[in-house]
Amino acid sequence: MHKQQVIRRIFLSCLLGLLYPFSLLAQQAVDVAAKADTNSIRLGEQIKLQLTATLTPAQFKDPNFKIIFPVLPDSLDHFEVVTRTSLDTVNSQDVHTHTLHQTVTLTSFDSGHWQIPPMRFEVITGANAAADSAVTLPIGIDVNTVAVDTTKAFKPIKAVQAVPWSIWDYWLYIAIGAGIVLIMGGLIWYFRSRPEKVPVVNTPTISPYELATRQLKTLKEEKLWQQGDVKQYYTRLTDILRTYFEHQFNIAALEQTSEELLQNIKPVTKLNQQRDKLRSLLAIADLAKFAKLQPTADEHEDCMVKAEEILEWTRPKAGAAEEDGTTAEKQQA
Amino acid sequence: MENTSSDIRQLNEKIHQASAFVDLLSMELGKVIVGQRYMVERLLIGLLAQGHVLLEGVPGLAKTLSIKSLSSAINAKFSRIQFTPDLLPADVVGTMIYNQQKNEFVVRRGPIFANFILADEINRAPAKVQSALLEAMQERQITIGDNTFKLDEPFLVLATQNPIEQEGTYTLPEAQVDRFMLKVVIGYPTKEEEKLIIRQNLNPEASSPIRAIIQPSDIIEARKLVREVYMDEKIEKYILDIVFATRNPEDYKLNKLKPLIAYGGSPRASINLAWAAKAYAFMKRRGYVIPEDVRNICFDVMRHRVGLTYEAEAENVTSENILSEILNAVEVP
Repeated sequence: MHKQQVIRRIFLSCLLGLLYPFSLLAQQAVDVAAKADTNSIRLGEQIKLQLTATLTPAQFKDPNFKIIFPVLPDSLDHFEVVTRTSLDTVNSQDVHTHTLHQTVTLTSFDSGHWQIPPMRFEVITGANAAADSAVTLPIGIDVNTVAVDTTKAFKPIKAVQAVPWSIWDYWLYIAIGAGIVLIMGGLIWYFRSRPEKVPVVNTPTISPYELATRQLKTLKEEKLWQQGDVKQYYTRLTDILRTYFEHQFNIAALEQTSEELLQNIKPVTKLNQQRDKLRSLLAIADLAKFAKLQPTADEHEDCMVKAEEILEWTRPKAGAAEEDGTTAEKQQA
Repeated sequence: MENTSSDIRQLNEKIHQASAFVDLLSMELGKVIVGQRYMVERLLIGLLAQGHVLLEGVPGLAKTLSIKSLSSAINAKFSRIQFTPDLLPADVVGTMIYNQQKNEFVVRRGPIFANFILADEINRAPAKVQSALLEAMQERQITIGDNTFKLDEPFLVLATQNPIEQEGTYTLPEAQVDRFMLKVVIGYPTKEEEKLIIRQNLNPEASSPIRAIIQPSDIIEARKLVREVYMDEKIEKYILDIVFATRNPEDYKLNKLKPLIAYGGSPRASINLAWAAKAYAFMKRRGYVIPEDVRNICFDVMRHRVGLTYEAEAENVTSENILSEILNAVEVP
């Protein structure tokens, strides 16, 4: 009894061992083909060689299954490779197969009967990447020369032939030219006929004098020096005056030092008349700003009064504001 | 520690007394140097601010005489080094020589071991010699063999270069020029001044020799006071604005300068501008810096620190033009 069981097991193992390679072959069987569109060409004519590999759905879906198309060199025996297309996949709905497809364009410059050699497709299957190959059949191609009848005389070279021309050959250029002329004409017409821009004059809503007066008033109300912020008080005071000079007399006072400012007010007669007041105000302000001088309360008040007096003295009369500015500008120039 | 207003007042009085020697020094130099007050003033700024001076001017403008007279008036040691293409670093700093009697190498100090050095035509010597001098200027010490020697204070280098002869010269690289605190451009004397120069030279016996009116130690003491001169935060901001405007002119509404400036002033420019402004305030017998001080020395501190583009050179724009634009655009505090 035990002996029979052993024999049966050995028999089954042998049977499985024999059947296994067939099952693998069944899995690997790939239908490959190489087909030429013609078997006869003249020298230099081209042949379209179709390389196809047909896969079953199981093979197509198997991640371990891989088919490698033949890699053709630039020239085969008697044939030159002109182009190669990339690999394409065609799904056949009716028979549930998948066809991989590549077209290789060949040509030949040797007359005679030649064979396109068999194409070798590499097939890789299984998790262990077992390699196999499938080979196509060779294809015979006749490469013919052009028949030349040497018995006939040579013909002379033809003269240059005049090609008859038509205006319609140039319609595109004519249309572009006409378009450009029209656009240019339109632009010229537009620029000539458009209404001239009236410069927008930004009339200040407030005169420099009024602005400075208001700022001085605000400065007084803020009581900066009374709160101990002397530096800020004099910085603001001189800034108000400098801004006023800049707007009223076109003197770049904000970018000038005290000494330069005193020099540059000379051409502005009205302002120059207040030179001494301005000098003493600027001197105290410079000391307060740059030397931490603490002027007395009287000096603070005095500086404010001087600033107001300078403003008042140089206050433009109605209609004279522009004149003053213009004079200053002329003198500056 | 922050200065109070009384501190500054005391400092102001102290400086007012201590800076009296500046006028004496100027008067003493005036005995032999006709005109060139600007150059003498700049030399004193360099001396007080511990900065070296690069002089640019044609030959015969009393450069050597000025520095020689200055050293005599301060009772200091003076050396003149004529820079030539074959000059070697050892000719400037010194070398080790073999003493046969003692059977050992001894140091022979070069002409740089003095208080005042006139490096005449510095751009005539190759880069290695320039570097040897400029290293000494920066470090204020010299290493010969294994020995390092501290240079005596005050140590002032006055280098000259001729702006018209460029053939066979080695232009100082930007990094080297940056080590000079001031670059002073000297012009010709006026007609009246030149008449006096002629008379003085025709009758040298008539002019009295320079007397030593102060000692080097007085200069060192004065430098300590210069360091104490008060500089307000507003002035610091003004200095920074000027230097930053050379780097990013577009931030100061000076977009037109952007293509003309290759590079702006380095942080060394800000430091030197602050130092020179303090020294200038000291010379004006003030214990605090005002914007005038900064503007006054700005050109001499900045002109060699603003790099021009090819575009600027093609349009004959100078660094002085650029600095003028900047000073006219940056608001004075």
